[in-house]
This record gives sequence, C-alpha cells and structure tokens, in this order.
Amino acid sequence: MVKFTADELRRIMDHKHNIRNMSVIAHVDHGKSTLTDSLVAAAGIIAQEVAGDVRMTDTRADEAERGITIKSTGISLYYEMSDESLKSYKGERQGNEYLINLIDSPGHVDFSSEVTAALRITDGALVVVDCVEGVCVQTETVLRQALGERIRPVLTVNKMDRCFLELQVDGEEAYQTFQRVIENANVIMATYEDPLLGDVQVYPEKGTVAFSAGLHGWAFTLTNFAKMYASKFGVDEAKMMERLWGENFFDPATKKWTSKNTGTPTCKRGFVQFCYEPIKQIINTCMNDQNDKLWPMLQKLGVTMKSEEKDLMGKALMKRVMQTWLPASNALLEMMIFHLPSPATAQKYRVENLYEGPLDDAYANAIRNCDPEGPLMLYVSKMIPASDKGRFFAFGRVFSGKVSTGLKVRIMGPNYVPGEKKDLYVKSVQRTVIWMGKRQETVEDVPCGNTVAMVGLDQYITKNATLTNEKEVDAHPIRAMKFSVSPVVRVAVQCKVASDLPKLVEGLKRLAKSDPMVVCSIEESGEHIVAGAGELHLEICLKDLQEDFMGGAEIIKSDPVVSFRETVLERSSRTVMSKSPNKHNRLYMEARPLEEGLAEAIDDGRIGPRDDPKARSKILSEEFGWDKELAKKIWCFGPETTGPNMVVDMCKGVQYLNEIKDSVVAGFHWASKEGPLAEENMRGICFEVCDVVLHADAIHRGGGQVIPTARRVVYASQLTAKPRLLEPVYLVEIQAPEQALGGIYSVLNQKRGHVFEEMQRPGTPLYNIKAYLPVVESFGFSSTLRAATSGQAFPQCVFDHWDMMSSDPLEAGSQAATLVAEIRKRKGGTNMLCMKEKFILLV
Amino acid sequence: MDLEHNFEIARVAEFILSHGFTRVALQFPDELLRDSMRVVKALRRELNSSVKLYVMADTTYGSCCVDEVGAAHVNAECVIHYGHTCLSPTSTIPALFIFGKASISTSDCARSLLKYGLECGKPVLVLFGLEYAHAIPEIKSALLSDASCLSGSVSTSEHLFADASCSFISPSGTFGPANQPGSIDRRVENECLDEENSQNYKIGGLSWRLPQGRTMEDYSLFWIGLDNPAFSNVVLTFNSCEIVRYDAKEDRLIIDLSQQKKILRRRYYLVEKAKDANMIGVLVGTLGAAGYLHMIHQMTELITKAGKKSYTFVMGKPNPAKLANFPELDVFIHVSCAQTALLDSKEFLAPVITPFEAMLALDRGSQWTGAYQMDFGDLISSTPSVANKQSEEARFSFIQGGYVEDLDLHDNDEVEKDEILALVNVTEKALQVRDEDTRSLTKTVAKSGAEYFASRSYHGLDINGTDPVPAKFLTGRSGKASGYKDENTHR
Repeated sequence: MVKFTADELRRIMDHKHNIRNMSVIAHVDHGKSTLTDSLVAAAGIIAQEVAGDVRMTDTRADEAERGITIKSTGISLYYEMSDESLKSYKGERQGNEYLINLIDSPGHVDFSSEVTAALRITDGALVVVDCVEGVCVQTETVLRQALGERIRPVLTVNKMDRCFLELQVDGEEAYQTFQRVIENANVIMATYEDPLLGDVQVYPEKGTVAFSAGLHGWAFTLTNFAKMYASKFGVDEAKMMERLWGENFFDPATKKWTSKNTGTPTCKRGFVQFCYEPIKQIINTCMNDQNDKLWPMLQKLGVTMKSEEKDLMGKALMKRVMQTWLPASNALLEMMIFHLPSPATAQKYRVENLYEGPLDDAYANAIRNCDPEGPLMLYVSKMIPASDKGRFFAFGRVFSGKVSTGLKVRIMGPNYVPGEKKDLYVKSVQRTVIWMGKRQETVEDVPCGNTVAMVGLDQYITKNATLTNEKEVDAHPIRAMKFSVSPVVRVAVQCKVASDLPKLVEGLKRLAKSDPMVVCSIEESGEHIVAGAGELHLEICLKDLQEDFMGGAEIIKSDPVVSFRETVLERSSRTVMSKSPNKHNRLYMEARPLEEGLAEAIDDGRIGPRDDPKARSKILSEEFGWDKELAKKIWCFGPETTGPNMVVDMCKGVQYLNEIKDSVVAGFHWASKEGPLAEENMRGICFEVCDVVLHADAIHRGGGQVIPTARRVVYASQLTAKPRLLEPVYLVEIQAPEQALGGIYSVLNQKRGHVFEEMQRPGTPLYNIKAYLPVVESFGFSSTLRAATSGQAFPQCVFDHWDMMSSDPLEAGSQAATLVAEIRKRKGGTNMLCMKEKFILLV
Repeated sequence: MDLEHNFEIARVAEFILSHGFTRVALQFPDELLRDSMRVVKALRRELNSSVKLYVMADTTYGSCCVDEVGAAHVNAECVIHYGHTCLSPTSTIPALFIFGKASISTSDCARSLLKYGLECGKPVLVLFGLEYAHAIPEIKSALLSDASCLSGSVSTSEHLFADASCSFISPSGTFGPANQPGSIDRRVENECLDEENSQNYKIGGLSWRLPQGRTMEDYSLFWIGLDNPAFSNVVLTFNSCEIVRYDAKEDRLIIDLSQQKKILRRRYYLVEKAKDANMIGVLVGTLGAAGYLHMIHQMTELITKAGKKSYTFVMGKPNPAKLANFPELDVFIHVSCAQTALLDSKEFLAPVITPFEAMLALDRGSQWTGAYQMDFGDLISSTPSVANKQSEEARFSFIQGGYVEDLDLHDNDEVEKDEILALVNVTEKALQVRDEDTRSLTKTVAKSGAEYFASRSYHGLDINGTDPVPAKFLTGRSGKASGYKDENTHR
C-alpha cells in the first residue's frame, strides 16, 4: 500500500501522460477481483492518516456472500517505474511516477451495465481469462463492448496455479492451452479492426499478454524472463522475447535455437524451457518442502527471502516465494503502463466516439488534446450512493478542462437536444472528491484525464449526464452509453403498509439512480414496476431498495413478469373497415408482417423516422424488396415514433387524405402501444391504408372522428391477420463437464429451451453449450440447473431475440390464449374473447 | 307502479304550495322520462293553474345534478329533481330531490346486516343508496327485533346508521373558501380538533356522526344498494375501511371488491401520468354544483403555476370522440359533481382526472398518501396549502423513468426579465426554419397548442395551391351515412 496525502495524489493528477485509466473485465469467476486485490495490496493508494488497517476491497456484504462482484469499484494505484525499465518506453512521460485508476467490474452478465459504465471512463482494459476455461461468452461480450468504445485491451491468462497444482499439465500442453486462449481472444479482437485504434490484438512476445495467478499473487510477462535471459544469451530483450513464444525451440544439449522441434528429448519450446519449467520447478520444490534445494535456486534467481518467511511450509511458502520472485503488481502494472494509452493519447482517437457535436469545434478539440485549460467536458457515468442515506456522488471522467469545487456547471441530461432547454440544468458543484481507498478526500479541482466524484448534483442527474462550464452554451453532449443488456425481467412492487407509499416512491427514485440498468416505472394499473436485466440483478435491486433506500420498510413483490410483443403471421384475410362515430368516414386497412430482419433494422436505428427518405427507400428496396415508390409513402413508425411497426399509404387518388394523416398517425401510435391481444407493444407489423372515405365537411372528419376510428381499424386488421404473441428469448451459455450434460439437457427440455451448439473446449474436459431459452421459463433456471448437475453447471443468460409463439391466441384454450387471459387479468382489462367481435367490421 | 307513492306527488305539491312557487321545473333522468307526463298530470290535480310546470330532460351534464341553466331558461323558481342524485349543493335555485323508492326486502337485508356484524367483529356503519332511504327505518326496526331474538350476542355488534340529508337544498349564496356553506362538514377540521366530542361525516347526501374517540378505520362499512357511482365514491373516499355491498335486487352480500380497489390504483397511475403533461384541458362538467366556477379558476391557476398550459372546454358530457378532437392535450381535468367526475375508459386518448387528482399531480409539495376526495367542495378549503415550497430537486417521472424538468418555470422568469423583447422573441420563434421532411415523422414535445399545430403535417387549406386549374366536378356519394348507395356493390 502506498500512503499518500490528498495533495500528493492531486499533484500526480496533473501529469496527463502518466495516468492510466483502466478497467478489469472478464467472464464471471475468472478472477478479476482476486487479481485486483493483489494489485491493490501492493500499490493501492490510501490516505496517510488512516494507513494501518484499511481493507481496500471491503465492499458490499452480499458481494462477499455470493462471491461475485455486483458493483464496479474504482481504486487508484501508484507505481514508480525504474529508469531502467522505462528505457525502452517511447511515449511521452513526465517523470517516473504513474497514477493508475483501476476499475474492477462485475463479470456476471446481469451486471454488464456496470461494465459499460466503467469502460466509458477508462482508456484501457485488462482482460482476464481463466487459462483452463478459456474465452467465455461474457469475455466476448465485454471485449466487444470495450473495442466499441475504443478501449485498448491487454490480456492476462489467469489462474496459472491451476496448471501447476490442479491439472499438473506438462509444459507443451500448457503452452498449447495458453496459445489457444490468446488466439481465441485475438479472433474476437480482430473482428473489431479499427484503423484509428490500430492493431488491438495481443501478443505475448510483445509483452501485451501476462500470465498470472491472482490467488497466489504472482504474475509475469515475457518481458520479465527476457530481461533475465537476455544478458545470458547476449541478445537484446526484444529478440529474447520473440524467442520465448511461438515456434522457437531450444536444445540445451546443443545450445541451439531452432524453429522446429528437433525431436531430441532435451529440445523444448523456448517458453517451456525458460518460463514454464523454472516456475514449475520452484513450485514443486516448495510444495515438496525440499528447502535445501530451494534456497540455492532462489539465490540464483536473485530472490531474497526474509528470515521469518523461511520457516513457512508448503503452499504458504510457495506463495511467498512466488510473490517475491514474480510479484503480480510489477508485471501487470508495468504491462499497463507500457501498453495501455494515457488519457492524452487515448482521447485523440476516442473523441469521435465520444462527442456528438461537430468534430472540429472547440469542445472536440479540447477533448482530443486532453486540454486542462480548455472548456470543461465531463461525463458522469454512474451515481454512487453516499454514506449519508439518500445522497449520491456523481462519478465520472473529466475529458477536458478542470472541474472544481463551487464551479457552476451546465448539466446536459440524456434527452438534451442542443439549442433546447429540455433536460438541461445549471447548478454548482458543491464539492469535488477523489477516492483514496474507502475514504473520500475533498480536493480543490480535478484536471482532465482523471476520474472524479462530485457532490451536489444528484438531484438533477438520473443516471448519466455531460457536464460543461456554465457559459458553454453551444457544447454538445457526450454520446450516451449503449448497453449490451436490456431490462426484460420485471416485477411489480407494493408496500406492505399502504402508508409507506411515499417511502416506496422515494426508494424507487434512488434505486433508479444507483444502477445504470434498472428501470423504475409504473403500469397502467397503477403498480410500480422494477425492471432489470435478469433474475439475479432484480434480486439485488430489490434488496437494495428495501434495505438501503426504504429504510427497511417491507415490500411485497410479485412474481417476475415478462413483457411480450404482439405481431401478425400473415396478411389480413381481407380488407377491414371501420366507421367513425358519426358514420361519415371510413378507413380501410390491411396488416401484414414486416419482412424478416426489418424490425431489427428499425431497432438498430438503421431505418427510422429521421432518415433521408431517399436513403431509406434505397435500403428498403435493396435489402427488403420493397417497391421504391412505396418506400416513400411511409407515414410513420410506432410506438413512440421509432418503434418497429409502420403505416404505409397505399391509397390512390383519395381526397383530403393529407388532412387526416395526423389523426391516423395518432390513432396508430395509440394502438401500437397497446395491442388488441394483451395490451402489449406491437412489433413487426406493417399497416397498409387501402382506402379512405371521408365526409366532405372538414368539421365531420376531425381528430375526434378519425383517431378512435384509426385505432379500431388497426386493431381489426391485426386481428384478421393471424395475430401472434412474441416472447423474449435468452441466449444461454453453459459450461460444464461431460457428466453434467445429461442434467443440462433434461432441465433445458423441461423449460422449453433448445440447444443449438455443443462444443468441447479443446484440451479440457469442459463442454460449451449454447441454447435458446424463453425468458418466461428462466426464473429459477439457475438453481434448477445447479441442482440437476450437482453444482457443476453455471448458466449465463442474455436477451437475444423475440420468438413467435406458435399457438393462436384467438383459439380458446391454447397456450397463447391462456397467457393473454392472464396478462389481461393482471392489467385489469376486460376479457379477451369479446375483442374480436368488438373490433372487426367486415367488408 | 304506484305513481303517487313513488314520486311522492303529495309531498311535492305541498312543498310547492307552501313556498308559493309559481314556475316550477321538473327534472327527470332519461330512465324516468316516460313517467314524466303522468307525474305532471298528477301534480296538476293537486295544484291550481297559476303554477306553471315544466319538464326538463336530457341534461347537458350528469343527470344527478340540478340543471340550473335549463331551469333558468324558463325562469323557474325551483327545481324538483327526480331519480338518482348526488345532492351537490346548487348555486342559484332551490331544489327538492325526490329519490324514488326502490323495492327492498327489509327483513332479508336486516338479517344479512346482522350476520355480517357478527362476523366482522367490528362496529358496522350502514350506508345506502338514496333510493333505499325510505326503507331504512324499517330495516332498523327489523334489525332490532332480529337482534333481540339472538339476545346473547347482540352486545358484541354495533350498528350505526347514516341519515339521508334533507332532500331540500337552497342556494348558499356566494361560495368561496372563506364562506363555507353549512352543509359541508369538514373532515379535515375534525382531524385538527381532536377534542371535539363527535365527528361529522358527509358524503353523497348521507351524513353521520362518529362517537368520540372513534375513527372511520374502526368501522366496517355496509352499503345497501347498487354498484353505482355513489358507491364508487364511498369506496374511494374510505379506501382504508373494510367495505361490503348488499345487493337488494339479488339479496346477496358482495364481499370481494378487489375491482373497486383496482380503481384506486388506476387513479394513482393517472396522477403520475398527469405530472408529465404539458398541456392540460379543464373540462367543465357542471354548471350547477355550487363553487364550480371557483374550482375552474383554481384549476387554471394551479396549472399555470405548475408551468403548464391550460385550456378550458365546455362540451357537455365528455366522450372519446369529443375529447379526441384535441389530441394536443395530454390530460383533462373534469370539474363536475362527485359522482360524474370519475371517467376512466381506455377509449379516451388522454386520461381524464378529477380536481383532487390534479392537485396531487400539479402541486409539487403534495404526495399520494391514499386519502382520496371526490367532492371538489372539500377541495376549495384545502387550497391554501399550496405552499410554494418550490423544491430544488428536479422531478422524477415514473412514466419516463427518469428526471424531467418542468420547463416553463424557467421560461416565465425570462419573459419577465425582458418584457419588451417578448414579442420579438415570439416572432423569432415563429420564423424558425423547419425541416419539411423530418417534421412529419417525428413527434416533438409541444408546450402549447400553437406549437403542436406547427408540428402537424396539415395546416389547413393551402392558399398557394400548387395546381392553379380548378378541380373537376365529380358526382358525390348518395344515400345514408350508415351505408351509402354505392357501397352495396362493395359488399
């Protein structure tokens, strides 16, 4: 641990070339937090006054209990490089002192929003991969996210100790495993080639891959060994590093390097010969208590142990020896400092991703140059609950300028549109705070390139925001974060005692703030809804809600509820017509399903209301086979003007049509938000206005006549087009040994899931199974699976797509019909079966 | 049907004669209209020819209120109101209410009541629809005799009956917060003055006093009558009490009232929704109930204070087609008597809320606590509590799931600062270049009717029409709107 005063820390913060902001990302259980702990133990900055018994990683009790990280936590590290090791560093630097702001993020997929929030404020990522389990689904997800944010990755192959102690594999086999892990990671990275970011793949021989054992606190990069051997072989370090990886073999008998295994028993791969074997030897000697052999070996390696440590035995001794010989902090921190960009470097290419406004204005330039004298540009990525209940720190990163205590800032919320006043506040920062371990220290100001927490803004920021100086009225906000998960699982919450309602309302408000992903809303029926990414996520949220945000007041939660979508299977069986209340106007309409992939294209924003009509009609005609003219006649998208349904005008030569367009659009928005089946959103339906008969007097074809009529005709055309429900489906990835497969399959079958990929991980007894599982069936899936496989299978579920339910909701007694009846009952609506008659007027 | 008995001809005649009225309006709801001529004839027989009788039907607003405007057309001196009523105080004309007499089996009712009283173990407060008011004394006596049969357990159950108020209402003159009409007892007042010996309650023409030290929560409510607005009113107002309903027609006790409780939650949602509204319509739903004008003013003031735009509408009974003519409005406030105020049909494009709910939604200091009021008479007095404790915090919207700002608060400040430039600013805004293409497909949040109109794709007839040649004459459709002549071929 490094003891610092706030002033000392603040001083380093000015050296923008000597800062590294980085996050630790990985699949769940690959050892992020353990590895982080060993870094913090060595280099964590704590306040001078409280040095002694501060436990840096002391976080939430439930995190410890479950053994998983839930919230991302940020910690600053300090590292001083030796002149010698900086010799080969080419980049700019100011002295040898480095400040590393490290954010440990959760690995469970339910909390990947925390990862997203962490990535936004960092420039580099340490990707941790379990050497046995290899690259898993969440590794891939977070890596993809990181590269999308232009975060440069370095890799560490973790849990090396398993190779030596648990699996006892020999050198060549281990090498193959590591090689495969690195290759898999590189495959993902290669698909995200980005010319500005350059080559993001990792290479052990270039020092961008480390090998670590987080649990035992040791790690190395090939640099460490190259340094050791370079002088011995009389070659320079870089050359030596290349020899230590890949197809380079050394035969001690002939003292010759070859590019192929010569076949002699003494000929071994460079990596095995010089890295793996020595470690293995040391570990074995320690574990077998062959102390007499150990001390001379250590002496040769230049490792000196303290005398009291010499009394240790077995594992404890091994740990101690390895930590002294190859301390994890040195290897990893040096790798980060060498290969991850400083804010000054990173912001040059990140500005394009970050800034929404023109890339040549003052703000873009300030971000690009990481200019401490420029205008303030700060992105608040998350809100952290403060110790005094109910308040929050706004936590974020300064991209340019300086934020200081008392500064008046413009807060641009996620819905802010430049030039308007929506979602815009001007308030002053009460205090700027930096974290020193668990303790917050107030500082005068924080310059660009650093992370900062601010007090006094929490009443204006829901989840994230862009801050700038008060007078910078023409600044555009920093782009909002895009999350890889969506809140698909919902529960209704209610307080046990009716008079606690104000507490619940207040609690929900705070909950919404504390988590980037959770959504607190209210249903038509008046129930408060909390929506999260998964079952675990919701469980944690509700626990927080009750214990932290409501002061323990009791709440009742409903069973998890899933939202559905309504769609159609085919074109309406006939043109349907609806008359206006005054019977003077008629609308004729047909519904048909949108072409495959079109709804997704609308979701992704490739096609939307703001497109240039020409560009849109090009995509529609080329990719989806639309008629070019027709593509120009799209009236609107819905619900919420951007949803995956549309109204198209197919009328020919109808008078006054332009006049009622707005009314039809309003009726459609209304209808597409609450479909006729279960009052759920519609999805993937195209409504074609076939003909319109209108009264000649404008007064008789006003909104009052047309809006309700349009809604009815939309309903009717959907109901005649074989309406179907869409249910959300998870992509489940499960990793388990062979003997657990039977259990996995039976649980999946029982839960209407189906496996579409089963693959053995090369070199391991583990199987990787990918399956689709309806979200409705996923409640309790984890625990059932664990029970069925005696705890050997652990699933990761991510929302993947909407799947059509094959049964007909209009057919009494079918599965879909039962479901619809249930939803309608919950929403307090009327019974379904009378609906069809109600809406359909036949022509 | 026993006309004489049901319509209380003798009592009405006596009332008219004793007050010396010469022009009398008789107000009938639609369902009793067919009896109106017989009633008039019967009354004629009792009265001399100097008294002029007018039949009023098809009221503009709810038929439960006295149609004072209709009565004023014939310069009537008093109104005789028949049928279901909300007993809202009138503002100009005295009125006599004839509740009608629905049939009820008093002994069955008394038995259910007794049984319920024993089961619930709490004192029972008996409330009833006014059409059953005539039977209450009988039920009371039947109850007593039944109870004496079961003498052992009588002491454990206790019944309190509400009284139907006097069926004659005379206008209370000027109505305002300072001048409370005597007929409106203040619940709030009672809560403040705990020392008072008893508490008076009044709802929809019923009144009762609770003995000292008792609160409404101590009682179970027993409602005799139909599941009508009057009952909803009781359920919503006393939502923390246990309530059962005795259906006289089917002689059945209905205990499960979850549907009614759902209404309350639904109202809560509507309040949340109203908080997000930018433009609010005030629907005038009565021209009779005393204090309605005051209420309308209070509402528009409240809306303006909350930084939103208000529009006032007079449109008779609101229906979805009428309200959908104003798609720019996000919510409507329905100012009307307690029993017609609740309008919740999903057919409405924008929700319709009551003045009480509007107060909850628009006054930043207030909170939904579960207490509910229907009668706006009760609200007027509570207005001054609009303490302008402008909370600094931005408002959290559950509909949108985030913080939203009520914009106009700031706009107002600005306009005040440079009043001179106000006009310039407005015209400047009007002359903004708008993108023709995007406008039609995106929905911007409009803050006033004019802005909404500007965002529409159709702005009325285009003076600079593109085609200078006049259109050709065409033969139009013929036939009836419900099925034009040319439509037969369609079919």
